[in-house]
Amino acid sequence: MILQQIFDGLTLGIVYALIAVGYSLVFGVLRLVNFAHGATYAFGAHIAMVVIVSANFGLFWGFIASVIVTGLMTMLMDRIALRPLRIKKSKGISALITTIGCSYIIQNTLMIVFGSRSKWFPKIFDYGNFNVGGILVKSTQVGIIAVSVALLLALTYVVHKTKIGLAMRAVQQNSKAASLMGIDVNKVVSFTFFLGGASAAVAGTLISGYYQIVNPQMGFVAGLKAFSAAVLGGIGILHGAVFGGLVVGLAESLAAYYIGGGYRDAVAFIILIAVLIFRPNGLFGKKVIEKV
Amino acid sequence: MAKRVVLVALLSLLIASFAFANGSAETQKPIKIAVVGPLTGDFAEYGTGFKNAVVLHAKQINEAGGVLGGRQIEIVSFDDKNSGEEAASIAERIAGNKDIVGVIGHFASGVSMAAAPTYEEVGIAEISPSASHPDYSSMGEYIFRNNSLINVEANENLNMAADLFHAKRVAVLAVKTDWGVKTADILINDLAAKRDDLEIVGYEEILDGLTDFSSTITKLRSYKPDTIIVCAMYNILGPFANQYKDVDPNINLIGFSNAYSEQLIKLAQEDGNGIVLPAVFFHESPEAKVRNFVDAYMADYDGKIPSSLTAQAYDSLGMFAQAIEEAGTADRTAIKDQLYKIKYDGVAGQSYFDANGDAFKTFYWLRIVDGKFTMIDKTSK
Repeated sequence: MILQQIFDGLTLGIVYALIAVGYSLVFGVLRLVNFAHGATYAFGAHIAMVVIVSANFGLFWGFIASVIVTGLMTMLMDRIALRPLRIKKSKGISALITTIGCSYIIQNTLMIVFGSRSKWFPKIFDYGNFNVGGILVKSTQVGIIAVSVALLLALTYVVHKTKIGLAMRAVQQNSKAASLMGIDVNKVVSFTFFLGGASAAVAGTLISGYYQIVNPQMGFVAGLKAFSAAVLGGIGILHGAVFGGLVVGLAESLAAYYIGGGYRDAVAFIILIAVLIFRPNGLFGKKVIEKV
Repeated sequence: MAKRVVLVALLSLLIASFAFANGSAETQKPIKIAVVGPLTGDFAEYGTGFKNAVVLHAKQINEAGGVLGGRQIEIVSFDDKNSGEEAASIAERIAGNKDIVGVIGHFASGVSMAAAPTYEEVGIAEISPSASHPDYSSMGEYIFRNNSLINVEANENLNMAADLFHAKRVAVLAVKTDWGVKTADILINDLAAKRDDLEIVGYEEILDGLTDFSSTITKLRSYKPDTIIVCAMYNILGPFANQYKDVDPNINLIGFSNAYSEQLIKLAQEDGNGIVLPAVFFHESPEAKVRNFVDAYMADYDGKIPSSLTAQAYDSLGMFAQAIEEAGTADRTAIKDQLYKIKYDGVAGQSYFDANGDAFKTFYWLRIVDGKFTMIDKTSK
């Protein structure tokens, strides 16, 4: 039974990891916590629902459409709401509040367009269940894990092995110097937002297909937990976000089993607080030295 | 002389006609009944349902000749915004208006309970079509509820488990709200404890609005239940059915009447088939009175389907009308006394009030078959 909980928890955790990576990407480049990320995740799920359920185009096109539309939406959000703040060199807190505002705008738009009720979503990767050493493994879970791992590898590859990834890391270290070296910082930021939005869209679609339910408020708690996962692993660090996501998913699953379903949400945050007391920069975080 | 006779005759005719007119004014004056509920705000859908149903029923009664030999029923509506303060001040206004002889309303239990002391003090009967808090109806003899009590419905769920599924091992899942936890408590500790035909093997709680049930399902499965009673609304029962039937398609699921909604079928899709639940009102019932009500309601209110609370508001006015008719007067106290005596056959089943003012109702048993709610014939189990 405990193995079952661990497996279920890891499935949940890998999806949290996917959302947490989005926080880390944007934070890494801009030093900004994008609180609209949870709403972006819900947005992605709704786009997938429109394509898969309403337009009946199938899962593959659902993923593609969701990734592109959601990615463009986050780029647009950056262009309209965040870039002007950067140009005016306003304080970090203004950008943070702006992302909270964007989060409500996205969520309320979803409510106006789709209604606030929960809606059905078809099960994805459904090829039945099988039993592996006493653990009930659903094909849906296998599919979710496979897609998430592939995407996480792809993101790591982009950040560490490609030219645009090099530019992202350069902007992360010093955006002024990067810009002097001929890097178009705005383009890099837009690309980062696109990646963040795309990963949230994939996570949203996967989770909707797992739980077979979509609603505009789904991003709020998931976003908070993924954010705590990102902080837990050390925000801005990709493998830290993945590890944090797994820990949060696992903790939640075990807590629901041993303490009761009513208290599961608290556990993720208790772990977060405990880790931050001992390692203020997260598990994989390095101490940031403020240079004057 | 002849002139005088004519004059006297005319005068007496005039006086007689005055007297007659006066008498008819007294007997023809409309009988006013108030309907109060949230017409604005988050719960407006419920309050508007109350008002719509009551106005519709009054129109039907008036078209059929009114009550007490031709007196019309006039509905006065108030918006309490589902707030206790607002409700208390509306109660004062209603109490001060001598023409109003009965009140249908207040939606939430807490709001109804804020208004109830005023109604009790001045002596005007209040029937709430929705309040389900156990303490509400015992606030006074003028305070009635036309809604079933939690324990009556929970007992119905256990009967369904025993009769329909021959259940032996029953698990309970409750949403972590006042209503869910209280219902599960009554179900497990009061009702099931007294039965020996089935056993409660496990109990789990779940947060409202949650979509991940995997841990809860693993825990529930470890109790090896054959039937699960879900004390939650459709927003949980639907996805729960999806996820549970994914691992155990043979599970029997029983819901409560507040999960009875088209939304349940939309959320659960084919996994919803086989779910059973009790309900006092079934909008597709073939019974003529229900058909007439649903058709008239949909015709008057742009095709909206009435819910069971709306049906109970509709019946509440019928109860007042019947009590007035049987009491032979529109006196506030006489109406209250008569309400305790009536047996009302309405669109939401047969009901009567006990000494507390709680309505007892007969339940339909519904089962989802091929994506549609259908009625179970209780006699042929």
